[in-house]
Formats: sequence, structure tokens, C-alpha cells
Amino acid sequence: MPPSIHPVDLILALRDKHLTPAIVFLTSRRACDEAMQSFDHSHIVLPPPRQEAIAAVLDKVIAQYPSIAEHPLIPTVQRIGVAAHHAGHLPSWKIAVEELMRHGCLDAVFATTTLAAGVDFPARTVIITQSSIRKSRDFMDLTIGEVQQIAGRAGRRGKDLVGFAIVTPSPYIDLNVLTKGFTGHPEAINSQFLISYPMVLNLLKAHPLDQIQPILAKSFAQFQLNQRAEVLQRKLDDLGEQMEPFGPRVCTDWITEWQTFDQVRRQKSHRAPIRRHEPPEVAARFHFLTPGRVVGFARGRGVVLRQYRSKGQKSPMITALREDGGITESPASTVTEVSDRILDCVDAPVYPWCTPDSVEDLLHQLEELPGRLPELPILIPKDDEPIPDAIVQTLGDFACPTCPSRSACQRDYPIAAKLRQEQHRHVKSIQALRTSLWHRFQEKIDVLQEFGYLTPTAHLTEDGEWARLIRIDHSLLITELLRAGAFNGADPAMLAAVMSSIAHDDDRPGAFPRVSSGLASLLGQVRKLAVSLSPHEDPPLLRADIAAVTERWIGDPTLTWIGLCKSTTMAEGDIYRLLARTLEFLSQLHTLKVTHPGLADTASRAIAALRRGVLEELP
Amino acid sequence: MTTEELEQLLAQQPIALLHRLARGRVQRHFRAGKRRLIEVLLRHSAENRAGFESDLMTLIGEKPTRTAPPLPQAPAPRKPKSPAPQRRTTHRSVEPESHEPGVTLSSWLEGLGVPPPKTFVADAWQEEAIAKLREGDVVVSVPTGSGKTYVAVEAARRAIAENRTVIYTSPLKALSNTKYTEFSKIFGADQVGILTGDRRDNGQAPLLIMTTEILRNLLYDAGGGEIDIRLDTLGLVILDESQYIADPERGVVWEETIIFCPSQARMLLLSASIGNPHDIAEWLTSIRTTPCHLIRHSTRTVPLRAGYLHPNGKLTPLFRTVGIPHGHPTHLHPEAKRLFLQYEDETLPSGRRR
Ligand SMILES: Nc1ncnc2c1ncn2[C@@H]1O[C@H](COP(=O)(O)OP(=O)(O)OP(=O)(O)O)[C@@H](O)[C@H]1O
Ligand SMILES: [Mg+2]
Repeated sequence: MPPSIHPVDLILALRDKHLTPAIVFLTSRRACDEAMQSFDHSHIVLPPPRQEAIAAVLDKVIAQYPSIAEHPLIPTVQRIGVAAHHAGHLPSWKIAVEELMRHGCLDAVFATTTLAAGVDFPARTVIITQSSIRKSRDFMDLTIGEVQQIAGRAGRRGKDLVGFAIVTPSPYIDLNVLTKGFTGHPEAINSQFLISYPMVLNLLKAHPLDQIQPILAKSFAQFQLNQRAEVLQRKLDDLGEQMEPFGPRVCTDWITEWQTFDQVRRQKSHRAPIRRHEPPEVAARFHFLTPGRVVGFARGRGVVLRQYRSKGQKSPMITALREDGGITESPASTVTEVSDRILDCVDAPVYPWCTPDSVEDLLHQLEELPGRLPELPILIPKDDEPIPDAIVQTLGDFACPTCPSRSACQRDYPIAAKLRQEQHRHVKSIQALRTSLWHRFQEKIDVLQEFGYLTPTAHLTEDGEWARLIRIDHSLLITELLRAGAFNGADPAMLAAVMSSIAHDDDRPGAFPRVSSGLASLLGQVRKLAVSLSPHEDPPLLRADIAAVTERWIGDPTLTWIGLCKSTTMAEGDIYRLLARTLEFLSQLHTLKVTHPGLADTASRAIAALRRGVLEELP
Repeated sequence: MTTEELEQLLAQQPIALLHRLARGRVQRHFRAGKRRLIEVLLRHSAENRAGFESDLMTLIGEKPTRTAPPLPQAPAPRKPKSPAPQRRTTHRSVEPESHEPGVTLSSWLEGLGVPPPKTFVADAWQEEAIAKLREGDVVVSVPTGSGKTYVAVEAARRAIAENRTVIYTSPLKALSNTKYTEFSKIFGADQVGILTGDRRDNGQAPLLIMTTEILRNLLYDAGGGEIDIRLDTLGLVILDESQYIADPERGVVWEETIIFCPSQARMLLLSASIGNPHDIAEWLTSIRTTPCHLIRHSTRTVPLRAGYLHPNGKLTPLFRTVGIPHGHPTHLHPEAKRLFLQYEDETLPSGRRR
């Protein structure tokens, strides 16, 4: 059985049951394109009136967006009444597909889940083939809200009496995620309050520092933090009640008093260190059982080759070379004599822990040794030393031993201490919940002061005044580049190219045109700065191949859109989005007319050069 | 655990768990499908089998609700030593329900078709939303395709009639463009303008469309003292798809916009179904001068049915009921369940060998 249904069969099955028009959500753009290709040899052909209806709608869209007049997919769409819609397509093409769908001209659209959010694009049926989507480079299960957003595209008001959401399995699917999604309540949503440098600058431009905290307190983030704090506060109140029987006794803070007393007591009993269950004489001897040491066993002599502790019990062990040439592993306690002799042995990292030559040599030396050897005098520490005076004295400082509530304290301490610890923890958490936004804001202030955008009193410096107008990702990198004069003398193509390499955050690989040497060296400079800023701002990918696409488009006004697309393997829609985002970045530079007239002018020339052809069609 | 057991256990895990397991172990694991992923993971597990198994068990333990279907009333809580086989057996033994008949395909398909044309009558919730906007801000959280746009249009119409400026924002440029076309048809092209970073088309029109980021920037400029377009005549701000407030990267922009929206302007937040719309409404009430009214419902206007289509072309209802059994994810149609189990058995490595 094939792992998933063939697109042609799918469409036939849907038509057969009158379940068209349908949106078929597939896992990737490639899957959408392949689904389209699979119709190439199919016999599905629309009757002429429907083909004409499609042509009529397309003509209208083309009148508005001429760029799609020659779109390679038009013949297929017209012939079979099926289209693809994903981020690799031009916006104008997507508008055409949406328009066709709105007019009921298509039987099905193959789409990626990006379509699920916000695009007005209903159908009678939705086909779901996956239960997870890729989010920031990782696959995540669809949330209940997302499943309902996807399934909810089915059933058009006024055009359908019922809508159908149909699951068809592929190797990517987990049915549980989907059935839960269909039948469950959408999840609660949570604030994602990122504090950015431009936010800090703009707030401090409009408000003095002491008014910032109340403003942050107005955020949904703080609203939700307060909700959590209230839950903790209720727990804290509960704890307070539970603590009532443990109020002041003979001493006001008996818990601390008892805790300290108890600790000192324990310290006393801890004096005798029972590290391992080994007799003190073995422990004392073990230090001396180093490689080369001559030792005596109950039967015969030997030379220590290594010492170690056994894996499980951690008991002291030695590897020894015996007089008879055998190599034994024995507990250190089997050593009866430790002589004062150390023989030369050459260590090796593996069994038998010294070189073979050395083994021969040691055996020889053992034979030569005299019958009696002087023993090493080893001092054995006494086990129960008396408690040092200092501790005895501290114990005397406590009233506890003779206190009338001693037994009550002793009994209650474990519970009371635990409750109080919990209280402290909650108080700390509540504190953190109330102040965390402000702390995060202050961290940003610190950085902006360090870089000279804010004065020590948190007012905007001259640089801060213009820097606050850059309100895009990687704003710190961009403003630092301006301050370093990185773009002085750069032409519009180069400026736009660098901006697009900052704006682009997709690591999809591909083949691209080469950059000019001027741009390459400028990018090198940008990269260096970005790395040096990385403690304060995540560096962008800064892909040179991406910059090259923009450089070509702006640098050569005669280059056509098709020509540009042919120079890279990037999808049309991706190139469009790259340039559109570059436009956004450039238009922010353009707002710096007053302080950076030269740059603003270059930016505006870049914008003019960029906005042509396809990029002119939509606002 | 034998390799075969391990393989079976892996096969029973959701793909997301396998991806988490593969993180740091397998390069480019996100490109692999389930079957392939299991193969690669098994090959990889040879290097450090114990570590691999313990990671797997931890991950399974983290998601008890997902992996373990509700257990029957067992006499004593047994320790699930190997959750995998147990899951299988419980699956089969616990379900007398699976012999319960599900709806037939024909009754599931019944009612399919086009409704007779009707004159437009606004829904009660739509009227309510428009009416409540007179008193204060409004948050609307209703299912996809319910007709939120109608509320936006009528509210805008009224504000324009009162000589107020209306700003409509969407999270996506594509959506802005669609709405620009749609609203131009409704109000006339001269009444609608669109603003992007570098372009203003008809920027003097009473109804302005822009992305939320652009509005946020306008509000910052106003706060910083720059005089900008008619913020003093601003009467209504509509934030469409406002569930974006939870977007990890861009969500903060919605918060900034709401915090700095001038107090004389009404806010209309349109959102798909979310779990806690009352939180949003309560939050708005707590920071704005007028109270915020919440409109929510979760019933779809066009009823939805769920189905299962087997790769061999066989179509069956997904659940035992015609409609979706809310709150009962396990009420699967016996036929759908049988086919899906068969699919898993045939496509997953543990099945191929059998
Ligand atoms: N009261 C009504 N009676 C009949 N049809 C309506 C009514 N209100 C809206 N509609 C129609 O419902 C369809 C969907 O409306 P709309 O696009 O506003 O949904 P939405 O709630 O914005 O959905 P989404 O979550 O997709 O944005 C439109 O075709 C609209 O004409
Ligand atoms: Mg809508």
C-alpha cells in the first residue's frame, strides 16, 4: 500500500462524493508542487465551459497584475481545475488562486498550512495529511487551536450546508493529535512580551524613567504575571493559616533558633567521618600503595602495579605482581606488610599497567631483594577524637537543651520549617513576577547606556534620538553600522544588498549569483560587527548569496523578474518576500532624513530602483 | 528491551516525540518521515542503547496523557513496566465500544449541498458586537468563518459616518491587500487607503488599512511628539486576527498597539477561537478608560463533520457520530479505527516484518 493517497485519486474520490471544492493541506511546498505535477499525465480534463470560466477570472486578475500573464501553471490550472498555493509563489499568483477559489472555479487547491492563518479562503472540504508543522526549525504537534483553524476553513457560509474535514494518513501523522484537536477546547494563549532596544528608546523618548514601570504594568504580559502572582498569593495565605500553630514560643523565632541549634548538634555528631566502611589502618595504608611499592601478603611478596577503587563498593584495591610472576587483583586489606622499598617501574595505561620489559625487570628485582625489609611506619588516626572545645562552647550558647518547649520544638520543627521554606519561596516568586518585566527593561537600558544611546540618567543621547526610528529586527546592528559609517559612499545596490542579508533569516540552501568584491568586503565588515554585538543581539545569518540577489536586482535596472529568478534556485515567492522585507528595512533608513541625509537619499534611490515590475504591483 | 520491542515502542510514539528524541542525535531529522526516523534512530541507538532507552522513557513519561489512553478500572495500579505492549492490549480489551456501530457513510454525507439563497440577516452576536462598541471596546472570539468581517465593516461604516478615522490592521501584508480590495468595493475606492513602510495609497481616506507594525510605529511617533495623521480624529481601531498577540516574535507589537492606542478611540479585537478570551477582555478593561465587552461563542455556523480517507480511496466517518463529538476524542468510528491501525501496521517497520 502506498504511504499516502495519490493526488489524482484523491481528487477523483472527492469529486465522486461531491466534496469539492477542497483545500488539501500538505506538509511542504515541494509536496504541493509534486501533487500538481502528478496531474500531468492524468485524464482529468475539465469540460470547456468550466475552462472558460477559469480563463475569464484569470483575465480579470491579470489585468490588475500583469506579472502573472505568463505564469507557467496557468495551462494546468485551466485544464484540470486544480491549483497550488504556497509561500513559494508570487503574491499576485496567490491572489489569482484565491480569486478562482472564491468564484468556485477550482476543485481543489494544494496548500501548505501557512494558508490556515488569516487568508480568506474557504472551501467545502479540507483535507488534512499531517499532525505537526515546522516551527522555528523544529517539528511541533499542531495545537488544538491550529487544528480548528485548519479544519475551520471547511464549510462556506451561504454556500455549504455542512463542511467536511477529512484526515488522510501519511507517514507524518499522529491521529491522536487531530482527534483531540477536533474535539477539544482551544488552548489559552499567553503573552510573549519581548523587550527590544527600539521599544526602550521610544518609551524613554516619550516618558521619563520613573513612569516606565507603570507603563510596563499595563502590558498583557504583566496582567498574566499578576494572575500567576495571585495564585501564589492565595497559596501564601493558605500557608499563613497552616503556620498559625507554629507562632512564637519561648523565643520569637523558634524555628531559626531550633534550626541553628540542631545544625550545631549534627555537626558535632558528624565529627567522626565515616567515609567508607574500611578500617582506619587500611585507609591509612592505601596512600602508600603506589606503583613500584614492595608489599607483603599472607603468602609471599609482591610489587604494586596500580591502585584503584572497585567499581561497585569503592573498596580500595591493588593490582600486584607476585613473586611467582602472576598478576593479581586484591583488596588493599590483604596487604600484611608495607615495606619502605619502591622499585622502578615504567607505567603503562593498560593492563598490566606497566610495560612488558618492566614486568621482567621487576620480577628480577624482587628475586634480588633480601629476606627481611624494613617496614614503613604508618600512623593510624584514632577514630573517636573528642569534640573540639569550640563546638561544645557553642552548644552552651543555646537555651534549647533546657528550654520548656524543647520537645514541642523538636516535634514541630520538620513541618514548620518546610512550611516556612515554602512561604519564602512563594514570596520570592511573587516578587519576581511583579518585577521581572522591569528588570528585563533595565537590562536593555544598561546596554543602551553602554553603547551611548542613553545618558546615565536614561535620557536619549543625540544618537539615541535617531536610533529610535529604526524599529526592525537587528536594530542594534543597523544603528551601530550607521555610527561606524559603514555605508558612507555605498551605492544603492550595496546598501540594499546588506539590508537584505540582515533581513533574511531563512537557512534554506540553494544556488545563487556571486557578489561583487566591494559588497563582499562590506559584508565582511558587517559580519565582524555582528559577532562583536552577539552578547547583546543575536547576529543575523548575513548570507552573501542572498545579498547578491538584491545587488543584481538593483544594480541592473534592465534585469527582468524572470531573469532574476533564473539566476538563483530560490523560489519566486521567496525572492519577492526577500525584496519586500528589504524595502521595509530601507524605508526605515529613509526616515533618517534629518540626521543622515546622504544615507536617506541612497535608501530612497534604492527603494525606487527596487520597486519595479512585480514589486510595483502591490502596495 | 529487545530491538524488536524498542522498534515497536518507537512506532507507537507520536512523530513529534521521535523528533525530540532525534534532536542532537540525527542530523536533519526534521526532514525524515516517521518510518525513516525510526530506522535512523534504531541504527543510532546501537551506540548508546541504555542512554537512548532512558531518554525515550523520559520523553514518554512527560506526555502521559498522549501515550496512555485512559486505563480501565484496574483492580490494583500496576506499574507499567513496558507501556508499549500494555497500551496495545488495553486498546483492544477495553473497547467494547469499538463494537458499537458508527454512523453509516451515507448518513454522514447526508445534507451536503448548497443552501437556498437567503436575504442577509445579521447574527445576534454580530448585532451585539456592533451595539456594544458604542459603550466601549469589544473583543470578539468566534470560530473561523463566522463572519467577523461584517462586524468590522458595520462598525467602520458608523465611525466614518461620524467623521471619525478608522484604522484596520491585519498581521499579514497579503491579508491587508485582500481587505483593501474588499473594503474598496464596499465603501468606494476613495474611502479606503493602505499604508506600508514606503508607500501610502490614498493616505487621507477615512478608512486606513495597514499591518499592526505600521500602526505601532505611528503610535510611537505620536508619543514622541511628531505630529502625524489625524490621531486626534481616530475613532476606531480594528485589530483582525488578534490571536497573534501570542506569536513568539511579533506578539509584543499587538500589546504595544493596545497599550498606546489613544483613549478616545474604540478598539475592536477580532480573534479566532482561543481558550482565554475573557483574559484579553479583562486586561483591556483594566488598562483602558471604557469597559471592554467580550463576545464569544464556539458553535460553528456551518456545521463541521470529520472523516477519514484511506490511501486505497475508502472514505469513512472519523467519529461514531455524524457531528464532531466534542470532549470525546476517543469516540472513533470502528471502521476508521480499523483502517488506521491497518495503515500503521503496514507502513511502520514493526509491521513490515510480520
Ligand atoms: N449573518 C450572516 N449571514 C450569512 N452569511 C454571513 C453572515 N455574516 C457573515 N457571513 C458570510 O460568512 C463568510 C465568512 O465571513 P468572514 O470572512 O467575515 O469570517 P471570519 O469570521 O472573519 O473568518 P476568519 O476566521 O477566516 O477570518 C463571508 O462569506 C460572509 O459573507
Ligand atoms: Mg476574518
